[in-house]
Amino acid sequence: MASRTSLMLRGLSPYYCCCCFFNLSSRSSSSSSKLFFLGKNSNPTIRYCSTKATGGASSLPPPDVTHLAKTARISLAPNEVEEFAPKIQQVIDWFGQLQVVDLDSVEPAIRAESLHENAREDIPETFENREAIRTSVPSYDDPYIKVPKVLNKE
Amino acid sequence: MLSAMQHPLLFSRFPRHISSSFAKSRPLHILSSAQPTAGLSVADQSPPSNSQILSIRHSLLSGHFTATQLAESYLNRLKLTEPQLNSFLHISNNVLKEAQEIDDKIKKKEEVGPLAGVLVGVKDNICTADMPSTGGSRILEGYRPPFDATAVKRVKELGGIVVGKTNLDEFGMGSTTEASAFKVTANPWDLSRVAGGSSGGSAAAVSARQCVVSLGSDTGGSVRQPASFCDVVGLKPTYGRVSRFGLMAYASSLDASGCFGSSVTDAGILLHAISGHDRFDATSSKQEVPDYASQFISATFLKSRPLEGLRVGLIRETIDEGVDSGVKSVIHGAASHLEQLGCMVTEVSLPSFSLGLPAYYILASSESSSNLSRYDGVRYGNQVSADELNSLYEDSRAKGFGPEVKMRILMGTYALSAGYYDAYYKRAQQVRTLIWESFKAALDENDILISPAAPSAAYKIGMMLTSSVIFFFFLLSLSFL
Repeated sequence: MASRTSLMLRGLSPYYCCCCFFNLSSRSSSSSSKLFFLGKNSNPTIRYCSTKATGGASSLPPPDVTHLAKTARISLAPNEVEEFAPKIQQVIDWFGQLQVVDLDSVEPAIRAESLHENAREDIPETFENREAIRTSVPSYDDPYIKVPKVLNKE
Repeated sequence: MLSAMQHPLLFSRFPRHISSSFAKSRPLHILSSAQPTAGLSVADQSPPSNSQILSIRHSLLSGHFTATQLAESYLNRLKLTEPQLNSFLHISNNVLKEAQEIDDKIKKKEEVGPLAGVLVGVKDNICTADMPSTGGSRILEGYRPPFDATAVKRVKELGGIVVGKTNLDEFGMGSTTEASAFKVTANPWDLSRVAGGSSGGSAAAVSARQCVVSLGSDTGGSVRQPASFCDVVGLKPTYGRVSRFGLMAYASSLDASGCFGSSVTDAGILLHAISGHDRFDATSSKQEVPDYASQFISATFLKSRPLEGLRVGLIRETIDEGVDSGVKSVIHGAASHLEQLGCMVTEVSLPSFSLGLPAYYILASSESSSNLSRYDGVRYGNQVSADELNSLYEDSRAKGFGPEVKMRILMGTYALSAGYYDAYYKRAQQVRTLIWESFKAALDENDILISPAAPSAAYKIGMMLTSSVIFFFFLLSLSFL
């Protein structure tokens, strides 16, 4: 959640340079995890100042792969960050062409076809093959699914 | 064995590469006259009698051969061709047993379903209870789902035999099967080329007659493009026509299960089998399912211009510059053929065409970043040991996902970040409305629209891996429609 907040701050300050970014961050310095996030992210300032988004996407800051990986819960090796960053940047730039299209009065289409009300009644049912579900769980201690400790900071 | 079942229609039209090695070891007299030219399936000109499903049914019921003999012959060919092709990730151990059950029923004069004895390949992102279902990903290596996907269940209920699980780009993300975590499927017509993707295994398996028909899935061309590359009929049904219960979700607003066959009739019969509302999939349509195949008439009964008056729109943007001249000439050839059959062919323009691909890519990567969050290593799939929950998630996913999947998740995470939604996901949905409108306008003027399924024939294995991202998009650009 904390990292999501940080990202939002960036989203609201698209044209700010590195100093502004730090100003915003320091204002919310009461949260240790935010500082942790910034610390992990070795040089966000350099990325922000040196990377120019092209095309219509220029109003949004470029992707920070390390942060995205944290949000998506995928640990990336440094060489992966290096490999993915330019590729992801290229695609995001290419997405930018949609920013210049006039879409003001256009309704968004949720899916390919609008479908009628199809939802079944919300009544719980028992799935017969429960044993197969249980055997799929990598770490199981009847009747619990085992995971490592969830809280290790507070 | 095979001599007992040399139905003239059953084993014709082998791709040359496979048939030549196969012919040496088997008493096959009927081989292909089909030319593996550009690998493009344009308009299938086969009469309904070319249906393998119908001829299998006829042969089983008339005692010409048994389901067991048929299954043995397919399994033999599969064994022979698989080392070169790599179409399958898993082959069922129950094929002969299930074939025997069908033979027993026929012997006892019991009713058998319309797919009785038909060997069906199933893309590995479609769940099967009695076989592993990995989606082509290490994160699900060895995973056995507790249920059959509805499409698989329906195929089985109608007598179809699932022969195995076919190879794919990891979770459907790719267009060559090179992004599979396990193997690369070769094109049966030229083993140095890709089968296409992401349903490359399903397309190659039908093309090489390792199975009769197969199930695939299509989010942005994943049935149509490999069908084109492997010269088989690929059918991507309307969104909602087929239940997706048991199809591993990639991009929910686009995903559709689809069919491969060696004839239009076979694809139609298979579509009929798997279509219809399913209470386990709220997006499945309640519209009536017509019997597609029964509407086909044998060509011999048709008048000389059977399509008189049909208005055909050839989408201009799909035959523009950048499309291979071979592809263009095949499409123009198909258009003239349609004219000979009585159609009025005109070019139509879809002004929003070029916006479709970035919009598609934003929607697909955003939805995949959400859908693939289920692979956390806790409830199923591969788990790494960790002393803290977040590390368990992060390391299980890092180890389980391939680079293509990781990148798409990261792009989707970016596009869905707080504050960015309007700029990316919502805009892409608005563009989808524009595309829908331009298609609707084109279909007001025309009865059908035609386009190539891909801008080139199958490319060499390894070519996409060394190409630039933008080049990749260009090659993809026709398949998303």
